[in-house]
Amino acid sequence: MVRYLITRLGQALVVVLLVTVIAFLILHLLPGGAARATLGKEATLEQLAAFNHEMGYDRPWIQQYGMFMQRLLQGDLGYSYQLNQSVSEAIMQRLPKTMVLSLLSTLLAIVVAIPLGVIQAVRRNRWPDYVITSLSLLAYATPIFFLGLMLIILFSQVWPVLPPEAPQGFTVAEVLSDPAGLVLPTVTLAIVTIAVYSRYVRSSMVDNLNENYVRTARSKGLSERRVVLRHTLRNGLFPVITLLGMYLPALFSGALVVESLFNYPGMGQLFWQAALKRDFPILLGVTLIISIATVVGALLADLLYAAVDPRVRLRRSAS
Amino acid sequence: MTASNELTRLGPAPDQSGTQPLLELRDLDTDIALRRGTVHALDGVDLQVMPGETLGVVGESGSGKTMTALSIMGLLPPGGRVTGGEIRFEGRDLRSLPADEVRRIRGVRMGMVFQDPLTSLNPTMRIGFQVAEPLRVHQGVGKAEARERAIEILRRVGMPRPERIVDNYPHELSGGMRQRVAIAMALVCSPRLLIADEPTTALDVTTQRQILELIDDLKDEFGMAVILVTHDLGVIAGRADRVAVMYAGRVVETAATGELFRSPRHRYTEALMEALPESAIRDDGAHARLYSIPGLPPDLSQPLTGCRFAPRCRYVTAECRTTEVTLSTGPHQHACLHPVPATAPAPLARTAPAAPSADAGGTPPAADDRTAPASAAEPVAASAAKAVAAEPTAAEPAVAPAAGSAVAEPAAAPILSVRGLVKNYPAGGGLWRRSAGQVSAVAGVSFEVRPGETFGLVGESGCGKSTIGRLVVGLETPTAGQIVLDGTDIATLRGRERRRMHRQVQLMFQDSYAAMNPRMRVDAILAEPLEIQQVGNAAARRARIATLLDQVGLSRRALERYPHEFSGGQLQRIGLARSLALQPRLIVGDEPVSALDVSIQAQVLNLMRDLQQELGLAYVFISHDLSVVDYMADRIGVMYLGKLVEVGPAREVVRAARHPYTQALIDAVPTVTPNAEAARSGIAIRGELPSALNPPTGCRFRTRCPFAQEICETEPPLTGGVHQVACHFPLRPESTASTAGSADGVPAVNAVPSAEAAR
Amino acid sequence: MTTLSTAANAQPDTGAPTPGEAAEAPLRGMWRQGLIVFCENRLALVGLGLFVLLAGFCFLGPLFYHTDQVHTDLTQVHLAPGEQGHPLGTDGVGYDQLGRMMLGGQTSIVVGLAAGLLATALGTIWGAVAGFVGGWVDAAMMRVVDAMMSIPSLFLFMLLAAIVTPSVPMLILIIGAFAWLGPARLVRGEALTLRSREYVQAMRAMGGTGARAVRRHIVPNAIGTVIVNATFQVADAILYVAYLSFLGLGVPPPAANWGGMLSDGLADAYSGHWWLLYPPGIAIILIVLACNFIGDGLRDAFEVRLRRR
Repeated sequence: MVRYLITRLGQALVVVLLVTVIAFLILHLLPGGAARATLGKEATLEQLAAFNHEMGYDRPWIQQYGMFMQRLLQGDLGYSYQLNQSVSEAIMQRLPKTMVLSLLSTLLAIVVAIPLGVIQAVRRNRWPDYVITSLSLLAYATPIFFLGLMLIILFSQVWPVLPPEAPQGFTVAEVLSDPAGLVLPTVTLAIVTIAVYSRYVRSSMVDNLNENYVRTARSKGLSERRVVLRHTLRNGLFPVITLLGMYLPALFSGALVVESLFNYPGMGQLFWQAALKRDFPILLGVTLIISIATVVGALLADLLYAAVDPRVRLRRSAS
Repeated sequence: MTASNELTRLGPAPDQSGTQPLLELRDLDTDIALRRGTVHALDGVDLQVMPGETLGVVGESGSGKTMTALSIMGLLPPGGRVTGGEIRFEGRDLRSLPADEVRRIRGVRMGMVFQDPLTSLNPTMRIGFQVAEPLRVHQGVGKAEARERAIEILRRVGMPRPERIVDNYPHELSGGMRQRVAIAMALVCSPRLLIADEPTTALDVTTQRQILELIDDLKDEFGMAVILVTHDLGVIAGRADRVAVMYAGRVVETAATGELFRSPRHRYTEALMEALPESAIRDDGAHARLYSIPGLPPDLSQPLTGCRFAPRCRYVTAECRTTEVTLSTGPHQHACLHPVPATAPAPLARTAPAAPSADAGGTPPAADDRTAPASAAEPVAASAAKAVAAEPTAAEPAVAPAAGSAVAEPAAAPILSVRGLVKNYPAGGGLWRRSAGQVSAVAGVSFEVRPGETFGLVGESGCGKSTIGRLVVGLETPTAGQIVLDGTDIATLRGRERRRMHRQVQLMFQDSYAAMNPRMRVDAILAEPLEIQQVGNAAARRARIATLLDQVGLSRRALERYPHEFSGGQLQRIGLARSLALQPRLIVGDEPVSALDVSIQAQVLNLMRDLQQELGLAYVFISHDLSVVDYMADRIGVMYLGKLVEVGPAREVVRAARHPYTQALIDAVPTVTPNAEAARSGIAIRGELPSALNPPTGCRFRTRCPFAQEICETEPPLTGGVHQVACHFPLRPESTASTAGSADGVPAVNAVPSAEAAR
Repeated sequence: MTTLSTAANAQPDTGAPTPGEAAEAPLRGMWRQGLIVFCENRLALVGLGLFVLLAGFCFLGPLFYHTDQVHTDLTQVHLAPGEQGHPLGTDGVGYDQLGRMMLGGQTSIVVGLAAGLLATALGTIWGAVAGFVGGWVDAAMMRVVDAMMSIPSLFLFMLLAAIVTPSVPMLILIIGAFAWLGPARLVRGEALTLRSREYVQAMRAMGGTGARAVRRHIVPNAIGTVIVNATFQVADAILYVAYLSFLGLGVPPPAANWGGMLSDGLADAYSGHWWLLYPPGIAIILIVLACNFIGDGLRDAFEVRLRRR
């Protein structure tokens, strides 16, 4: 277990380092390099050269990477002249709100997907399974923004019960103070997640229901309910924990689209607007932070899995 | 085992007409719906189990024995359904009871133990909770009391430190221990009936013995009946009061155990017994040809008429194919139109027990008064032998194995010579962490194989026998030591020569299906070795492949088929044909028949022996099954935890074992001689196999050896002439027969093919 | 070497197929068998039919239904379906919507197929090298994949789309160059498992080389997995194009794709111009579903074990 921890932590660290390298490379692949990216299209060649010299961008790449990392560790992600704000400040304003949206929709997805997946597995190859499978395939094939728009049309126009726009607060507290506005973005983001999770829960449960230990449990005269809920469900859900981590990139991608559609003031919207305005410091900063969040999230999911599954937890202590 | 118990077992069917049967199956039909049609797994099964008796249900795969057990328990796989008949348990038909009631009966009045202990327990639940769960569910026992009772039942199944085990998870226990947990779980509500479905098939033979004895003891203790389902006639012979033989979804014969083994009536039972390797070994060490049942069992998804064994039966008549045969009445029931005459000499005549007496396999003695194998007397002799054995060991100069065999067979140079072979694997498999320790899979093994000879390597799982096989064929590189093939150390070979080396030695796998690319047709599979070694042109290869198919007895039509279209026995033939393609001089068979049913196993073993004689092949025959190795091998090496503990002529090793481990292994093998098992007390190993990560110093067996002393902490060398042993206190000195004359020790088989093999 | 004696003791069972299969024809190719399994899967056939239908509509449709998709016509803006000979109406700049669906579909399908195949090819090579070489190389290569996978793909695509000017080939490159991570992981895993299969060991015990293992055993057995994954990659790529278009970084007009049409239609959603919204939306859903169905069917078809009784 201890060795697993160390290995897994080391892996995550390497991955984060590689992510910074990739971000650094992209920065330098930009036409005109980082200077153009920072100063914008209107900057003159002299301005660019001066900027490059000031930032050390005329030095060897290795040295530059060292400086890049040094600044990064100090929390300095650069400055957005378009927002007139430091990148880290802009991100810190938005990140918590994106986390709120992601967390809410993930919770909703888990709560819905687990029972769906279990029902599918228990009634596999019968109509409940077919219906749910078809729906998740449909959800998976629908672009999120189209799905969100359908929901807006349904619940804001046809049957106007919910606002079509997300809450516009500056802080998390303000956002949370308008729960009605959060419903549609959360549900939109959750639906695709539900489709993915429920398929996963289904296959994991089906695998477990075919295991010999389930037959043993039945041989003890346990009710089918107890066999499924007490014996199979735990084992079937362990892999789902790691899925939480693996699914994070897709979740954040989804958040990007949902935030843009509902005008939700999170990282995704910030990124979207920056992309339209070619605001590269923001684009790079957000990409870097969201990637690190992904790595950390996946690490936490793996550690959680290792902590709850006795087969992993006790691997080293056994004999 | 008590004396009275013994009597019931040997006598005719216990007269219990007064008492009601505990369980009665009447005309039971079970269907299994699959993607392609319905399999009629059971067709009119009738069975009775009396209170307190052990009924053995025996049959090959597909015979319906497991389906019978699962039908009783109501645990049929998806698609499975009991479609007719009655399951009367304690006088009530389970099929007519409400589901909840059946569930309760299943949990409280019946218990079941399954085959694979590694997967039969919930991996993420503590042992104690799993064991006590039936109590809590069916009897409303509280948490604290459930724990106490779990500890108590675990103690009764012989679990060491049960108060700690209850808080463990299954993966922290060995296979044998997990099976004890499974038994405890089945018994926690004190059921009237225990169904054990192949309870020891996944276990090593010494562990098997412990588990079977445990079930026996608990049966008496709890006064319950047991249904013991198995494919292994030997297991049944030693443990059951009555036996039911199943074939193709039907019970074909049922009788008291002694009676059935003494004089089987159904022609299938008779054939099955004759197909056992142990029935073909004569006392003088000569091997009769095994009777092999031709063909395959019928496809149960097709409508069948007449006796289902008819297509494979030696005594078939036209009548057999058309007449439905039902079980006869009386204590010895059979469903055969032309049964073995009841008074005829027992066909087990050839199954002479492994006794070194002058009983030359001619006239059959009644099973009851057969002399127990010599091994039974050994523990007594062993202590005496200890003192004697120390002397020759010391007196004899440490003879190198090479020298020893050179004396034995000066004519033929060994085809394979393994010297001081060592193989370690890094533990954990981490890239940077070699320090985590090493698994010592093979630790200094030396042996030789001469042309045309079969060298048997026997040992339990994890002893390193398969690793040796992989090393010899060049699939792994040894950590230390030499593998000399036909006079050349294979480690020195490079490139082209290394590739040509593979022509000399070939590997035969246990699971031929896994060893064949599922996307290649048989012709491509058989051509592959020829292509790799660039033998001949396309036409020559085709001709060679045709020859190979003839040799293994398959038709040319097989060429256009894919592996998944063949049965296990046919695949093993194809595997053998592929190993033969390059005309090797040595074939390493890694458990080549372990996955096969007895009747199919006999076909493959016969084929291997025929080809050996015809082609002058040498075999390294690796198996966990001592009786198969005994039948096949000229010489046997016994392995324990990476070490060769005993090497010698097959007959000597099996009948006059010198190492305590070998003796324990022999004693643990169940035989079809019904009372031999009971007569044996033998050497029983207790405890668990030590980890190969930190193997015991000195003699690796000393931690489990009943004779171990301080000196055993130093490593005993492998010493002796023809029959060598690595033990400070051998059970007996090397027999004079084997030391005196090499001709006696080395089977005559060698002489003929070795010349031919020299080519 | 003689065969006489063994031929004599050949068991009568011989190579005859197991009883139930005796009736079937002796000559069956692996591909034909796979085709049979594929055809047994009704959804897979529906998917294939759908894909052919949509592709036919996009690529053959313009041959029979001529429209001007280059010049805008501001006199014919937002015509409802059926008006003035426009079966599906017109959009905000006067393009015929039905003709535009065909044009947009061409882009979506071409980009989807090309990017999906590019991703599959790149991923297969990367994963195969990592899996075969193993050791340090494998560890390093897979960490790179881990790192790139932890950058959410849409963020990466948008970042790149912001750097370069999007065009059809550029979209293919961008999506293909970063969607290969999934296939790479898959192929590496497959290579690792296949490498340790017993039939590969059997081949090595015959003296076969690593190259032969790859050529005769690993590639033929891994190809199924790769092809199945490719169909899913195509589906994903079509979705990615839609997302990029929605986020304003799709191909600029007069070129069109379903995703771009759909996001343009969003603006019209509130004004009742439903014909601009639903046709592209439904078309995307259908083509993605079709790819997924085909993939599922192919997975069954390649699964040899399914055919073992």
